[in-house]
Amino acid sequence: MPSATAPLATPRAPVIEADHVCKAFVSGKLRTPVLNGLSLSIDPGELTLISGPSGCGKSTLLAILSGLQKVDSGRVRALGSELGQLDLRALEHFRLQHTGFVFQGFNLFPALTALEQVELPLNHMGLSKQEARERARRSLEEVGLSHRIKLRPSELSGGEKQRVAIARALAKEPELLFADEPTSALDAANGQVIIDILHTIAHTHGTTVLCVSHDPRLVAHSDRVLAMEDGRILSDRRHGADAPKEPTP
Amino acid sequence: MVALARKTLVYEWRRFLPAMLAVGFAGLLQLLQLALVLGIFGATSVYITGSSADVWVGFPGTQSVGSGRSIDANVESRVLMDPAVTRVEPYVWVDGDWRGAGETGGMSVFVSGIDPAADGLMFSKVLPPALRERLAEPDAVIVDRADLDKLGVALDQTATINGHRVRVVGISHGLRGLGGINVIASLDTARRLDNDAADNGPTYLVAKLRDPQQAETVAARLRGSSEFGPYTTWSAADFAHISVLYWLFDTGAGAGVLFLAGIVFLVGAVITSQTLVGAVQGSVREYATLNALGVGVGALRKVVLEQAFWVGALGLFGASVLGVLLLLLARSQDVPVVLGPLAAFACIALVMGQAAVSGVAAMRSMRRIDPATLLR
Repeated sequence: MPSATAPLATPRAPVIEADHVCKAFVSGKLRTPVLNGLSLSIDPGELTLISGPSGCGKSTLLAILSGLQKVDSGRVRALGSELGQLDLRALEHFRLQHTGFVFQGFNLFPALTALEQVELPLNHMGLSKQEARERARRSLEEVGLSHRIKLRPSELSGGEKQRVAIARALAKEPELLFADEPTSALDAANGQVIIDILHTIAHTHGTTVLCVSHDPRLVAHSDRVLAMEDGRILSDRRHGADAPKEPTP
Repeated sequence: MVALARKTLVYEWRRFLPAMLAVGFAGLLQLLQLALVLGIFGATSVYITGSSADVWVGFPGTQSVGSGRSIDANVESRVLMDPAVTRVEPYVWVDGDWRGAGETGGMSVFVSGIDPAADGLMFSKVLPPALRERLAEPDAVIVDRADLDKLGVALDQTATINGHRVRVVGISHGLRGLGGINVIASLDTARRLDNDAADNGPTYLVAKLRDPQQAETVAARLRGSSEFGPYTTWSAADFAHISVLYWLFDTGAGAGVLFLAGIVFLVGAVITSQTLVGAVQGSVREYATLNALGVGVGALRKVVLEQAFWVGALGLFGASVLGVLLLLLARSQDVPVVLGPLAAFACIALVMGQAAVSGVAAMRSMRRIDPATLLR
């Protein structure tokens, strides 16, 4: 199955594979299926965009592929780990070592400066104080905030806050970067800056960036676009490819 | 390590202020309550703690200094026979009715009849030798500075106790009692003031030992003889303890104090934990983001516990500063307050315990942290 979805242009093994994933939310007696036997694989070093109307299950898919949520049935493999078999602590450790997250809200601690926001998760990765600070500085520089590192969230614009959030994820040097609607709270110019940064991260760091968004501007910058509806993938297009690929069931 | 707990505490101090105030005032209340209770009830043993006797001899079953009955004066020779004893003196307790020169009505007073010798044991720590000597004069009494208004007298004025005339020859400090006013007289004067025909011996005999450390042993050795009628013995420390406990618990004050302490603890803990829960809820998305990035829930809990610790420590600091000022003020107004290292430690433990309980309670609210909720 994965071999069918992996095109010849990327001979490397997929970093994330989902196999017949089902997920439903239960509210009282009402059971709402969100994902119906969805399968897909994500290739390394690409910016993959999952797009679709709201309620189509794209955020749930992101939560499952990143190990934030468990599946009802089916399997998810990420970087060779079977996520369904990891307990809470092991999942936390997996996320600490391998993943970065960027959310729609920036979720920055009001009391910390930009540098400290980025440094904080690094402290928990077992890096030395020196190294954590150095990495945080580099990361903020990369998102173009080297002159704002001493400022707190209240002194930053929305776009700058999102760049701090990206720097926080990036500084961990993760193999996988998950972004959920990273531009939806931003104006056009700031949204464009964020899109460019995500694109650069995938291409210069070799990070696999999986982004959920309905922002049409992101489509043009993505290596691959998965269109979702009603818990299924409708189309799977690769940037520069001549024809859309067959959707996976 | 980025000090998230402390930086948040400093940056959002307004959010944490109610908790610090709650902890601080709870601590201050506990501290003042304890100091007052120890001071007030400590006054019930001023006869013992203000004296340098090591062993007390009194009527069996006596529950506090004020409730003694007379014993046979011949017990004195029995006590003196013990080689460990260097000095024995009688102590006479007389309940009196004071009528002052001013219009104060009748006042209930406790007359302590003591040996006025310069090396006397009774009230040796409260009365300087010069003051004691004045008691040798017939019908001379000494009263406490704090009781002058109530008694309606001044130095060198006269009044009557149980219908006998007495003259105030000195003013002391630190003799304030509980349940009645302490008046010091010589043994002879006290005996004259005693109208009770049944009292034909001293209320107590107090003894000084060569080695004060032996008080327990000697007290036990002197007990159990009945040839001079009923009497028993206590070490001074034991008797003081019995007296204070009697007042604390038999008057219901002790239960009241414990009840109040429990309420204060609970109220402080509830306010503090609610404040901390509020702080957690205010940052729940940030915590969830950290958890998504792989920072364990345990590490996040530590942040809350650390905040609880700082809230406790800062509250304690405020309470200490205010507490010392208020205790000094109380002392200057002759309000009996006593705070020993043990009581102070108990207060510190109580405040930090309160902060810890609040922190643990607030940690429970962290169960709501779920990074999946950020993906909406």
